[in-house]
Amino acid sequence: MIILDVRNISHRFGGLQALSDVTFSVPKGQIVGLIGPNGAGKTTLFSTLVGLIRPDSGTVQLDGANLAGLKPHKVAALGMTKTFQNVALFAESTVLDNVLTAGLLRHDVKTARSEALICLDRVGLKAVAHKQAGNLSFPERARVELARALCTGPKVLLLDEVMAALNPMEMQEIMDLIRSLRDDGITLLVVEHHMRAIMTICDRILVLNFGKLLADGPPEQVANDPQVVEAYLGRSMEARK
Amino acid sequence: MKRWIVIAVVIAAAALLPLALDARGYWIRVLTFTLLFATMAQAWNIIGGLANQTSLGHAAFFGIGAYTSTILLLKLGLSPWIGMLAGGVLGGIAALIIAIPTMRLQGHYFALATLAFGEVMRVIANVWTPLTGGPGGLSVPFMPPSFAGYSFKLLLPHAYIALVALIIVTAIFEAIRRGAMGYRLRAIKENPEAAEVIGIDTTKVKLQATVISGVLMAMLGTLYAQVAVFFDPDTVFSAAAISIRIALIAILGGVGTAVGPILGAFFIIPLEELMNDLLSSRAAGLSQLVFGVILIAVILWQPRGFITVFDSLRARLSGRAPS
Amino acid sequence: MAFLQAVIDGLLVGGVYAVISIGLTLVYGVMGIVNFAQAEFLMIGMFVAWFAWAFLGLDPVLAAPLSFAVAFGIGWLVQGQLIARVLKAPSVAQIFLTVGLLIVIENGSLLLFGSQFRSVTTSYQTISLSLGPLFISVPYLIAFAMSLACGVVLWWFMRASWFGRAMRATAQNPMAAQLMGIDTALMYKIAFALGVGLTAFGGAVILPYVTVFPGVGGQFVVLMFTVVVLGGLGSVAGAVVGGLAVGVIQALSSLVFPIQLQNLVLFLVFILVLAVRPQGLVGASR
Repeated sequence: MIILDVRNISHRFGGLQALSDVTFSVPKGQIVGLIGPNGAGKTTLFSTLVGLIRPDSGTVQLDGANLAGLKPHKVAALGMTKTFQNVALFAESTVLDNVLTAGLLRHDVKTARSEALICLDRVGLKAVAHKQAGNLSFPERARVELARALCTGPKVLLLDEVMAALNPMEMQEIMDLIRSLRDDGITLLVVEHHMRAIMTICDRILVLNFGKLLADGPPEQVANDPQVVEAYLGRSMEARK
Repeated sequence: MKRWIVIAVVIAAAALLPLALDARGYWIRVLTFTLLFATMAQAWNIIGGLANQTSLGHAAFFGIGAYTSTILLLKLGLSPWIGMLAGGVLGGIAALIIAIPTMRLQGHYFALATLAFGEVMRVIANVWTPLTGGPGGLSVPFMPPSFAGYSFKLLLPHAYIALVALIIVTAIFEAIRRGAMGYRLRAIKENPEAAEVIGIDTTKVKLQATVISGVLMAMLGTLYAQVAVFFDPDTVFSAAAISIRIALIAILGGVGTAVGPILGAFFIIPLEELMNDLLSSRAAGLSQLVFGVILIAVILWQPRGFITVFDSLRARLSGRAPS
Repeated sequence: MAFLQAVIDGLLVGGVYAVISIGLTLVYGVMGIVNFAQAEFLMIGMFVAWFAWAFLGLDPVLAAPLSFAVAFGIGWLVQGQLIARVLKAPSVAQIFLTVGLLIVIENGSLLLFGSQFRSVTTSYQTISLSLGPLFISVPYLIAFAMSLACGVVLWWFMRASWFGRAMRATAQNPMAAQLMGIDTALMYKIAFALGVGLTAFGGAVILPYVTVFPGVGGQFVVLMFTVVVLGGLGSVAGAVVGGLAVGVIQALSSLVFPIQLQNLVLFLVFILVLAVRPQGLVGASR
């Protein structure tokens, strides 16, 4: 069953065509990797999906609901949210409060608090719940942001480089977490630059370059696609195989 | 927890103090206005402190409240209590009217826009003489003393009403701050984009805070009218005497905290009175000048307000480091 | 005919409004703060010129550079000692610092000079030139000419001089400017001092037809803010356009409305622009 249906999304920023006729659909429970060189339009695509940017043309449907013109809070209410590449936490608030605030979408304060603790536990940060969010390290803040997004109770979760600056052990934890989220019924789109991670956990990979979708398929197929290799992966992929 | 003790002490003192003062006298009048301004600053604190929108136009609501209840009393004989509710409704509508064009404005722009609104109301009140009495102002007609008619022989009941108002508005402030709206407002303050993405309707929340603040402020206008007995557009719609002053009180005391406006008012209003007494006969403007200097000093050295001075004093007394 | 007369009067007066308001927009453009005390420097400029007239017999128009210099000096000190400290502070602190400054300056001058109204008498005050059926008031004309001269000098300064270019660089990207060796703190001082100096200059120039007293700033506050918001906060060219526009709007509304409502028209224009196009007619958003 298709939970996210993206058709012909195009968007122009001034003189730059940021997204060009992007089309794909995601069945429920899939883990989709989104890769591409810097500036390819991945973050722009995410912003378009959650409603931060209104695309010049194209449609997005979430579980049958048309998201055209909806503001991000409505999209979140319908079940889709994203994390920010540079991490956009509420630095002056505690870690718990950051996640709690997201829980307010569907619960009252008391319930949101216990939900928040559950989400923090899942990302392994329950111990720092009462620390000020701005005082944590960057990887920790990225995980808080993941917990926060999770606390909105999403059907579709867009993760923008949550594995940046992680060591291999931490990366493995996040990968396991992503899989367990999928097992809970959440559909995930993941932007990452760590190729091994993407190839390992993703069922399917979308390749974006200059705003256009270059490839769409299972990891092995994409890795061997000559266009993709030429545009992005280069020789390092072959060396890794 | 300690902060609540402070509030309780202040309120108890404020409640007992009137009894110690001459019920008709000068200082009870000062106390009444102090309590009233503390409450006004607390109402401002809801959007100035929690939503972080520095409004310089709250006089618009205040004046609407004062004029509504007084006009209803003059023309229809309606009790000021009912007039107060009517004023509250109009204040809420005014808040919506003001909020819609200013919703996307931040910081300085928002301050400017709200300042302009306050001035617009002042000009309208000055010009619409048949309704508002124009620059000549309005006098609240003398009514036989009764609680239902909000008319009293002494000043003492006015002081108690102001005290009750302070308690109510402070309670509302705290309820907002600790509740879901407080979390949402803090999120909007820190990162409006992220707030939207996690499901906060930033427009609706800001509107709600503005309307609550406006309604309360308008209702306080009625309290003022009843104790001042006479007012004109340049008094109740004044940018300097109302809008800027209440923001100042909240900021000097500690913006965003429940105690701040109370501390600020109890410091500023009696001090103003004292200085006007001592200095004004010799030099008009000196008391204002001193306040300007104090304001600048506080902004430069203790921008979080007196409350930080108070906090560090308290911490030093108990041997801990100030937070 | 009355319409055309109003337009001419409006343009002449508007030119002065532009000079008065350029300082406000310059300060915002370079430092990102709205100086709520800007109109007080207008009052300072007017007082300096008045005293120059009363004690030295100087025509206010000739005293304008003196007004500029005095305000420049005060502005330099204010920026260095006060404003500089809140440049990184939250906007509420910035707003109330300049509000505090407003209170201090206005009441300070009330204490120093007293509340009485003062005006000058010049030989040309009541003369008007006639251009066919239209009249051109000489004080307006001279004020406009001075403003034009001032504008030209400013334009040269901003475009051609090193300081002007450095200031514009600082306005666009303070970090990059610093990396290029520009002393941004010095630029801020210059910008602020220049800004308030220009406003004071404008004050001197309008003294022949405006009465000065400590609270006179309040009469121009709305006007100045409307000018800069209309033109776009931060855009000097916008201040010129805004100034002329406000001058004309004011002159035209005086044909239709009584004096109290004229201000209302300006307020409403002000609010409308903030609501619909906050970056103004000319300016770019900051």
